[in-house]
Amino acid sequence: MVKKKVLRRKRRKNKQALIGYLFLSPVFLFYSIFLVFPIGFSLYLSFHRWNMLTPPLEARYVGIKHFTYLLMGNETFLIVLKNTLFYALGTVFIGMILALIVALAFSRTKYSSVWRFVYFAPVVTPPVAIGIIWPYLYRPTDGLINTVLRWFHLPGQQWLSSPAQALPSIIIVGIWAGLGFTMLIFIAGLKGIPEMYYDAARIDGANSWQGFWHITLPLLKPTILFVLVTGMITAWQVFDLVFMMASGGVDTGVVPFESVGVAALHMYQTAFRDMRMGRASAMAFILFLVVLAFTLIELRVLRRGGVESY
Amino acid sequence: MFLPFLWLILASLQSEREIMLRPMVFIPEVPQWRNYLVLFKKYPLDRYYFNSFLVSSSVTGIVLLTSSLAGYSLAKLNFPARELIFKGILATMMFPIFLFLIPVYYLLKRAPLMGGNDIWGLGGVGFLYSYAALILPFIVNAWGVFLMRQFVIGIPNELLDAARIDGCSEFRIYRSLILPLTKPALATLGIFVFIQQWNSFLWPLIITTSAPKIMTLPVGLQLLRVAFTIAKNQGYLLAGLVVGVVPMVILFLTLQRHYVKGFVMTGLKG
Repeated sequence: MVKKKVLRRKRRKNKQALIGYLFLSPVFLFYSIFLVFPIGFSLYLSFHRWNMLTPPLEARYVGIKHFTYLLMGNETFLIVLKNTLFYALGTVFIGMILALIVALAFSRTKYSSVWRFVYFAPVVTPPVAIGIIWPYLYRPTDGLINTVLRWFHLPGQQWLSSPAQALPSIIIVGIWAGLGFTMLIFIAGLKGIPEMYYDAARIDGANSWQGFWHITLPLLKPTILFVLVTGMITAWQVFDLVFMMASGGVDTGVVPFESVGVAALHMYQTAFRDMRMGRASAMAFILFLVVLAFTLIELRVLRRGGVESY
Repeated sequence: MFLPFLWLILASLQSEREIMLRPMVFIPEVPQWRNYLVLFKKYPLDRYYFNSFLVSSSVTGIVLLTSSLAGYSLAKLNFPARELIFKGILATMMFPIFLFLIPVYYLLKRAPLMGGNDIWGLGGVGFLYSYAALILPFIVNAWGVFLMRQFVIGIPNELLDAARIDGCSEFRIYRSLILPLTKPALATLGIFVFIQQWNSFLWPLIITTSAPKIMTLPVGLQLLRVAFTIAKNQGYLLAGLVVGVVPMVILFLTLQRHYVKGFVMTGLKG
């Protein structure tokens, strides 16, 4: 009698397991074709020399030559990594702080649709379009931004025409484009903090700054972690924006590649312009390791925290 | 914050002469609607729109399906290695897309028995130059799985158990219980994915540069930029941008109720 019950339960469990895997089968199938194979193939490529014209199995084996070249032989890739790091840190950290400020401001005032629209419009705009519009605004002679600056008797800047200012100009655009999204995430996170914590603090005599520092920030840690991790991953792979704003174009002036080249752009050129698939794949793997390192550091630093753990 | 858009709309209506004026004039004397007309005649913007719409909605539809199936499975069904699988799916988001570009391109080209290929995938162009090339690589979205799983976890187990007692198969549960209950999350995810696909640039650039028939809007816009420089009447270019940008923004504006609500509801804890 008991044996029958146990058997029946086990059969039900097995059936559920089967269904579980069944529902996941599209995902498994997809990932084996579009994830496992590509990574394996890219790994293979990174040790070979291939230009897409010959069958890949005949590609010449070059061992770790690509990696040594990228990291030690030619300094272009290192410069590119430095630029991308600069871009990633700039957009993620400054963007995060600004988004937090705006989110906090919105938690006090009324959150009307107009504001939502204003902040989200850039997020739903194709980066391509953003990358075409902003160079116009940045025009040194008569762009909108310099015009406004001059109204306030401030000197106009070179923006995209200057090697030194080009990357920061792009970073500004990057922050502008992503602000609405990050802000939304912070608003969601802020909503998750129970009001009673603040009430208790106020009763104990704490002011708003202390409230922020000791309540808001610690409880917001998971949200901050999420923003940092996802922000980093996407920032390190930026392409559309930089491609449109720095690839010559109308009035962006002639800026050397070294000052704005980011990783994805360089990889794109190496693979599809120079037809050096092997080297491009090696670049991609190095980039992956860099992103992984950052992610692990972030996870470590922000491990504890959140509403649940207090 | 909003200035760039304002400038764009105003500038797109300026005449060729006005644009060249220094200092810059912001409000056109006579709105040059003509810019838009000429633009439409010269460039198949409607084609780009159609392609973008087709690709974006196809991807969105399939992603909703795969994500909700996977999300339900990972949230409510029990099987070995479930949590490990979930974490693994999340981890896939960490790989730079670049690792996939070349291999997937190669895969699409060598698809057996498609687009002129023989059974070994040689001879033709496989899936390239077809809509499939733009759609297939995106039909599973780890972000979508994550979102759906978080949401489905919130559905009370009693509801599902009651259905099981009544003899519902898991698939029936999925179809008649889960899907209706997760509508807000599905709406949010759908809008997310749609916008993400609509704005996607790098992959369509690679695929459609030699396939103008399936070219999507962002790639088309970039072509515009190449064609119209400041010397040749950038009013067209700017009009093209307005056409490319404004509809999406308006779409978002009308749908923001669902978008924002869904986001806040799923909660982003841990």
